[in-house]
Amino acid sequence: MHPITLNINGEKHEVSVRPHWSLAYVIREKLGLTGTKTGCEMGTCGSCTVLLDGKPYFSCLRMAIDSGSYAITTIEGLDADGKLHPLQQAFIEEHGMQCGFCTPGMIIAAKALLDENPVPAELDIREAIGGHLCRCGTYMRIVKSIQKGARIARGN
Amino acid sequence: MGAETTVVGRSLPLIDAREKVTGRLKYAGDLPPLHRMHHAKVLRSPYAHARVVSIDTSKAEALPGVSAVLTHKDDITGRKKTCNTPWVDPSFNFRGPMISEEVCYVGDEVAVVSAVDEDTAKQALRLIEVEYEEMPAVFDLEQSMQTGAPQVHPWGPNALEPSLFQWGDIEAGFRESDHIIENRITLGNQQHAPLDRNACIAEWDGDCLSIWTSTQALFWIRDAVTDFFELSPNKVRVHSTPTGGSFGLWWGNNFMFLAIAVARKARRPVRLVLTRDEVQTTVKRRERPLIDARIGIKADGTMVSQSYRHIMDNGAYGNKFDPYQSVADIYTTPHGRAEFIGVATNLLPAGCMRGVGDLTLAYAIEQTVDMAAEKINMDPVEFRLKNHWRSGDICHTSQEVLFAKLLFNKEPQVALTSSGLEECIRKGAGKFGWKEKWKGWGTPSSVEGIKVRGVGVGISTHISGLAFFGFNGITIKVNPDGTMVLTTGIGRMGQGGDTTQAMVAAEVLGVELGDVNVVDGDSEVCGHTMVTFGSNGMHMVARATKAAAEDARRQILEFAARRLEANPDDLDIRDKRIFVKGSPDIGVTLKELMSSPIYEYLSPPEVIGRASRGVEFDKAGKMMICDYAEVEIDTRTAQMRVVKFVAYHDSGTIVNPAICENQVAGGYCQSLGMAMTEHLVFDEESGAILNPNFMDYKILGPLDMPDPEIYFEQVYDEDGPFGAKGIGEGVTCAVPVAISNAVYNAIGVRLHPPITPDKIMRALRQKSR
Amino acid sequence: MEYFNPGDLNEAYEILMKYGDAAIPVAGSTFFMGHREELFDEVDAVVNIKRLGLSYIRLEKGRLCIGATTTLAELHRTGLTAKGPFRIFAETVRELKIMEVRNAATIGGEVCIAGEVDMPTTLLAYDADIVIGSRNGTRTVSMSEFHKGYLKNALQTGEMVIEVQVPEPGRRTGGGFAKFERTAADLPIVNAAVRLTLGRGDRCSDARVAVGAATVSGIPQRADAAEKVLLDGTLDDERIRKAAAASNSIECVNDFRASAELRTLWVECAVEDAIRKALTHAGEEK
Repeated sequence: MHPITLNINGEKHEVSVRPHWSLAYVIREKLGLTGTKTGCEMGTCGSCTVLLDGKPYFSCLRMAIDSGSYAITTIEGLDADGKLHPLQQAFIEEHGMQCGFCTPGMIIAAKALLDENPVPAELDIREAIGGHLCRCGTYMRIVKSIQKGARIARGN
Repeated sequence: MGAETTVVGRSLPLIDAREKVTGRLKYAGDLPPLHRMHHAKVLRSPYAHARVVSIDTSKAEALPGVSAVLTHKDDITGRKKTCNTPWVDPSFNFRGPMISEEVCYVGDEVAVVSAVDEDTAKQALRLIEVEYEEMPAVFDLEQSMQTGAPQVHPWGPNALEPSLFQWGDIEAGFRESDHIIENRITLGNQQHAPLDRNACIAEWDGDCLSIWTSTQALFWIRDAVTDFFELSPNKVRVHSTPTGGSFGLWWGNNFMFLAIAVARKARRPVRLVLTRDEVQTTVKRRERPLIDARIGIKADGTMVSQSYRHIMDNGAYGNKFDPYQSVADIYTTPHGRAEFIGVATNLLPAGCMRGVGDLTLAYAIEQTVDMAAEKINMDPVEFRLKNHWRSGDICHTSQEVLFAKLLFNKEPQVALTSSGLEECIRKGAGKFGWKEKWKGWGTPSSVEGIKVRGVGVGISTHISGLAFFGFNGITIKVNPDGTMVLTTGIGRMGQGGDTTQAMVAAEVLGVELGDVNVVDGDSEVCGHTMVTFGSNGMHMVARATKAAAEDARRQILEFAARRLEANPDDLDIRDKRIFVKGSPDIGVTLKELMSSPIYEYLSPPEVIGRASRGVEFDKAGKMMICDYAEVEIDTRTAQMRVVKFVAYHDSGTIVNPAICENQVAGGYCQSLGMAMTEHLVFDEESGAILNPNFMDYKILGPLDMPDPEIYFEQVYDEDGPFGAKGIGEGVTCAVPVAISNAVYNAIGVRLHPPITPDKIMRALRQKSR
Repeated sequence: MEYFNPGDLNEAYEILMKYGDAAIPVAGSTFFMGHREELFDEVDAVVNIKRLGLSYIRLEKGRLCIGATTTLAELHRTGLTAKGPFRIFAETVRELKIMEVRNAATIGGEVCIAGEVDMPTTLLAYDADIVIGSRNGTRTVSMSEFHKGYLKNALQTGEMVIEVQVPEPGRRTGGGFAKFERTAADLPIVNAAVRLTLGRGDRCSDARVAVGAATVSGIPQRADAAEKVLLDGTLDDERIRKAAAASNSIECVNDFRASAELRTLWVECAVEDAIRKALTHAGEEK
């Protein structure tokens, strides 16, 4: 076991890990942050997406042991101040979800997109979530939600 | 027709949307650990059919941290050695012992280990030594039905007793026909493939059992567990969490029973979380059909006779011989016959998946009908308009009829309550631009260089629940401030059932959706709803919800009448205020009424509305669907893409348009996946699944298809609450055949899903020869 | 399984030498984590190579030098591939529609995996060299010599890939990349990369055609026959189609993802598309 410190949503977590433990496993099973979902554990569904220094990664394909030097953002970090992120607000209003399992990953990927490109075209949005699956097939309203989230974030 | 509504009909956000967007919604795998909880892993058979000759678990048991190892030697059979009580069989997915010494498909359970953590449990699995003796296996449906075929499992014949529906005189019908069209179809092996990997946590306290799992079948699991472990229902408490998608997968499944049994042996709470591979290859898939269709028509296009022989691949433990599926009655003919035969194979068990029955049969019917229309050179839309099913028509193939026969030896008639099918076909054609696009049989809708386009249409129907799904028990408790709590057994699998049930209650009680909390997922607290399936939520369960709300309303009005010195019949509730009809100034707010003492009792009122409702089966409320598709085939690369898709649905009154749009879009997406890419591939030698994950079981993503255009024909159904019918399953049913018919229009070859570039390439090459 | 996080190359080389085949260098970790169940019993030492200063993209004497731990996203983002002779590398990345994998996967990892990824095909078409480091120093192996088969390569015990070098393409050279998949987010079923140089009278003076993902060998291969058709010819429609058709000499794998017959068709299509793109770009280059 190797002791590491993970900086998640601005909070420091001391945790001991094994080399083959994924970041997803550690933040869910050891730290109890279960908003990050693990659908496939092999980088093919997108549910476990988190931000490392603002960029999206599949946390199931990342070694936890190698994640200590980054500022990690999970879905729990988006409304840490009690206020919903514009994307979260938009997903609620536009019904950008059905079962909700892919939703945290979708929102995290969309946040990474909007942080880089506040005025994304529809194709930019679809490419930003290109590696994400929604088995309920809600893409239509997910895209609308991200468009609306971008508008709210821009203040119009 | 219905009166004006204030809540019903609005795209109000899901009541659990905030939990979902913040990641706080807990699926079973997200639940916090219990004290002393251990983790389970399952050892699975590498053989499609074998006997476990010996199994040595001593090394695994000796591994530090291992609390229990369970094998067939533990002989956990319960009373379920035979299949004679179908309605408590977990998901028709019958098996005798939970772990058998005879394993019947690749992935079948051989042993379960519980240990202090998952790493240790996995390590223990590697220490179990098993010696197998291979047995002959059969993977092919038709081979399995032949005499002398290897017996798939230790009990019963491979082919179950057929279920048969007949009306008129089928042979006379064909003799009267000018043309007879025969067609044989099959489809791929679709898997439900929800993103969530389910978990089950089991905890014993003496002889009392609690389990937590994600499911759409709270009470069915409760009943299956009580039956299997021979416990009284008052010793079993099932907690169901929402599912991360289900589509028919998360009913009673063997993995839950394994968790329960290993927890009992380990004398600790145990959690079993399935891996992605296990979700895909050890729970269930849609039955693969093999259908022979025969349709007789007159020269003018009138359908006279129809006959279907529907064989379904049940896999190793599937138990479908029907009547357990909705059956597409979409054309009314004087003569007809439909036969269903469930057949076992040594493959992953099969069972219900979204659109079950209707999807497969509608595929066969709608392709054969297309062939019939071509035979007489008639526009396929015109052909459908001429022959389709209409309101008041008899449901010849209703499951209810078979059940009445099974339970009471009677053969009643079931009639259709309402149908907007004609409008769906007609208006859908308009929105799609059918007249402009349809160039006649044998002519693609357009050809531009190497790109060829074709158009296709398909209709279908699906049940909105069935009477024998049982009574639904609902309570509504009104709080002192006028907010309320609705308890329901409805499952939450992304269909928004909790939201729409609360909308029905809010509508009746004159409050806002936000005033209604929903309590679900606890078999000790909630009233009975057997399973949320067969699209029963909005048509069946909601009837009980509405009745419970009306009961609460009646009580509120009685208390208010006393206070307002009025007759309850003269009162109404709106915007959380009770008032005298005609004199709206005279009234009292719900909050004031519920929080102010009544003189006689010196205390405020307590209101609990309740209802337990079954539904009569003689009238069937079915949803109606017409889908139009335009596809483009690149004749150079043999790739297909959808260009345009119009879905026109009659689900009666649409209670929440956004939820229903998502349902239709989701059905389109899943069924388009089935039409194009989704297919579990079984190795021909071993019977193992070669694509057990999303790397190779290809679900469509956000870049793979255009958004569908969705329209609702809101035909008010007199039996439905506020005129509503079901929606969740029918949305999938007509998609594959609309695509397949469009492919035929484009390239002139009939292909069956999954319509892969491989099949298109071969079709194009064969044609050019 | 032990974990090492060396701070310099020599330290890393010592660990690799000590553990031999039971050591795995890891940077983006997509392959290691994606296969952790199978690798669990085989790997004794996980060696993190991200602190070795191998994340860079620079031009040295016209050669594009890419450090082994450079991610696909970095290769896409750098100005060096935005336009000009090395734009093919950004275009290759662009065909991977999974942003999270672009952020994690490294060029060194792709080179070592070789089979079901895109970059090695492009590197083969661009005559890339693989720089290999070990305790004994560095050596360079050309891309065409590096791969021996699926997950088999020229690396000896104690060695690892530290850099990829791409020679400067000559004047009037353009590249094209094309691929075929089952869905937009998939493993490549077929990919092809083409490099063309235009000479006098717009005749093709140099050509490379590489095909990946589909091959029976499990590694990218040159389509020599296609190259021969292109060389010294005027690149009209007929010649392009002929060259594409000539690429059917590549032996394609037959599995449940796609039949060999379909892959052969797609190889032709991908080569044709890549030639057309390369031709357009070559025409644009001075």
